[in-house]
Amino acid sequence: MTDMNIRSDNVDVEQIMRQIRARIREKRGVDYTEEEIRELAAVKLEQFLDPRGVRSDLLDQFRRSRATLPPAPNFAFEESTIFDSHRGLLRFIRNLFKPLLKLFFNPNPLIQALHIQSELNTRNAKREELDTLHYEVLHNLVLELTRLGIEVKNLKMRVESMSSRLDFDERRARALEGVVVYRPGAAAPLQPPAGAEPRMPAPPGGGDPSERRNRRRRRRGRRRPGDRGEGRPESGPNPSPAQPFAPQAPAAAPADIPPDRPPSDDGGPSES
Amino acid sequence: MKLAVVVQRYGADINGGAELHARYIAERLSRHAEVEVATTCAKDYVTWRNELPPGTEHVNGVTVRRFPVVRERDPREFGRRSQRVFEHEHSTADELAWLDSEGPSSPELVDYVSRGRFDFALLFSYRYYHSWHIARRIPDKSVLVPTAERDPAIALGIFGPVFRGVRGVMYNSHEERAMIHAATGNQEVPGVVVGVGSEVPARPDASRFRRRFDLRRPFAIYIGRIDENKGCGELFSHFQRYAATFPRGLDLVLVGSAVMPIPAHPRIHHLGFLSDEDKFDALAAADLLIMPSYFESLSMVALEAWALGRPVLANGRCDVLKGQCLRSNAGLFYESYEEFAETLYAVESNGPLHNRLGQNGRDYFNRHYAWPVIERKYLDMFARLTADRGPRPAMAPLPGWWARRRRDLAPAAERLRQLPSGAAEQHDAPPRAVAPRRRPA
Repeated sequence: MTDMNIRSDNVDVEQIMRQIRARIREKRGVDYTEEEIRELAAVKLEQFLDPRGVRSDLLDQFRRSRATLPPAPNFAFEESTIFDSHRGLLRFIRNLFKPLLKLFFNPNPLIQALHIQSELNTRNAKREELDTLHYEVLHNLVLELTRLGIEVKNLKMRVESMSSRLDFDERRARALEGVVVYRPGAAAPLQPPAGAEPRMPAPPGGGDPSERRNRRRRRRGRRRPGDRGEGRPESGPNPSPAQPFAPQAPAAAPADIPPDRPPSDDGGPSES
Repeated sequence: MKLAVVVQRYGADINGGAELHARYIAERLSRHAEVEVATTCAKDYVTWRNELPPGTEHVNGVTVRRFPVVRERDPREFGRRSQRVFEHEHSTADELAWLDSEGPSSPELVDYVSRGRFDFALLFSYRYYHSWHIARRIPDKSVLVPTAERDPAIALGIFGPVFRGVRGVMYNSHEERAMIHAATGNQEVPGVVVGVGSEVPARPDASRFRRRFDLRRPFAIYIGRIDENKGCGELFSHFQRYAATFPRGLDLVLVGSAVMPIPAHPRIHHLGFLSDEDKFDALAAADLLIMPSYFESLSMVALEAWALGRPVLANGRCDVLKGQCLRSNAGLFYESYEEFAETLYAVESNGPLHNRLGQNGRDYFNRHYAWPVIERKYLDMFARLTADRGPRPAMAPLPGWWARRRRDLAPAAERLRQLPSGAAEQHDAPPRAVAPRRRPA
């Protein structure tokens, strides 16, 4: 959610709305205009994506309806069809009086139209064979779309849930930040290791912890190498090359080595 | 000065926007002039059934004269005629038939005001029978208070000559003025953006309201008819999503009669219709007012919220509300759920922003909508019109018998789409007029 700092006495609503819209665009990722979003929302896919609206027996229904319907009738229609007869005499007389008939009306457009219709019927019959395939494809598409729709809905719910959790966390974090008061002089002091040398008093005004650690290292560096003391000089300014691995038994773990570090087994210092 | 205030309904218990507006103006102007209200006997704006007795009465000290409506509205006929003129090519005769079917038809009211010895007649709501007929009968005395919303009626051809022919126009908002200028080309007619004030109590009691209705949590409020046409469906949808996202956010309190189902939600509280006292206490107790309406000529409740220092969250698709939010710097607006959630969250969670918006609202109300300001604007307009008695062009006559029946006028909804929209700049020059388009013969 948008956080706005209102510092001046003037509030500019236009600017606030610009900030809010910029924030929404940032969240959406893609800068769709409102019109585009409405256009997308207006696409009526719900009836396909809604699993309750899908007939699971779509294909069976189609097959059953095809089985109950008889094949569509058709006819052959040529130029001479209307003058035809199985009786030869009758056919002869019709052909004889054909010019007289054409004197009264023109049968050609009628013949032509019926011929075209006959051809269309033939083509339609062929195309119906493809319908089964189309229905199968459609059926599969609907199923896949339904699956996808459900998945998208699930994902949307998850995103909304995560978004609300995130918002909640953001608000909680802000609330906690508001409670904590930062004080520059209130840094936590370093805790000395058990058995370590007494801690020097901190310089007035507080001091940097790393500075104190450096001072301690310098003090250790000035000790004699043979001394048994607390802690091994890890990086003294001038370590003795004659006794590089002289066994030493520190009374306690040195401050710079983590206490849970296992003893080295490569000839390094160990208790003897 | 003698003034007639003409409005479709009138009464202390009638709470329609224009009717309340007319009552407030009549009562306020009666302190400066002799005011008489001329209205109908109807109480119901759907049927215009005569329910009040004709004759004279006094309402809050103002003389009110009622006239009977001769024909009740037939909703089916009105719907059919609306469909014809809004959606199809039509004729001027179709538009006149639409006006008659809309009502409230009261020729007696028109005759009385037209023959009365008034200096000016304030005609409320341009779209009704009485305004159109009186404006045509006495254009020199007619001052129109259009209360126009962005609906197709404004694009009907019969209203153009009326807007161009009256003496003056008192607009409710800059957006309304821009729309009427564009639709009718009446830039030359003296006009001023006035609006209306409100009787806001000086010290509303928020805690009394909370005790009475047992509301302990902070809430946003909606006041008005709970209707799909007022954008309440969208408001419920948005608010339910918002409530799911912010379980401890604001509640929503609804005040007004419901004509649509209200979702059962633990954070939505419907209180029904409230008295004015309760309403102002509720506004004072609320964190903000939400106005989800798409069409408003002037939202009085938004002004009342500002008067009480409450920010407003408005529907940005309503030009008037958006313009008022921008001009006042006292409200935010939304056009989608994301914007609704962000703006509501901003007002809810950001105390300084909430306070500044509220303060701006109070200043805006006092600067533009306090009663002395409103009264002064009306009186100045009357003084200006009285001083300007020069010759004026006559109102354009209606087309002849044949031309009136020629169906060559474009659908009003189509013309409305061509009108410019959006929040108006306060000091901008008004946009150019869009002339009524006729289909080629």
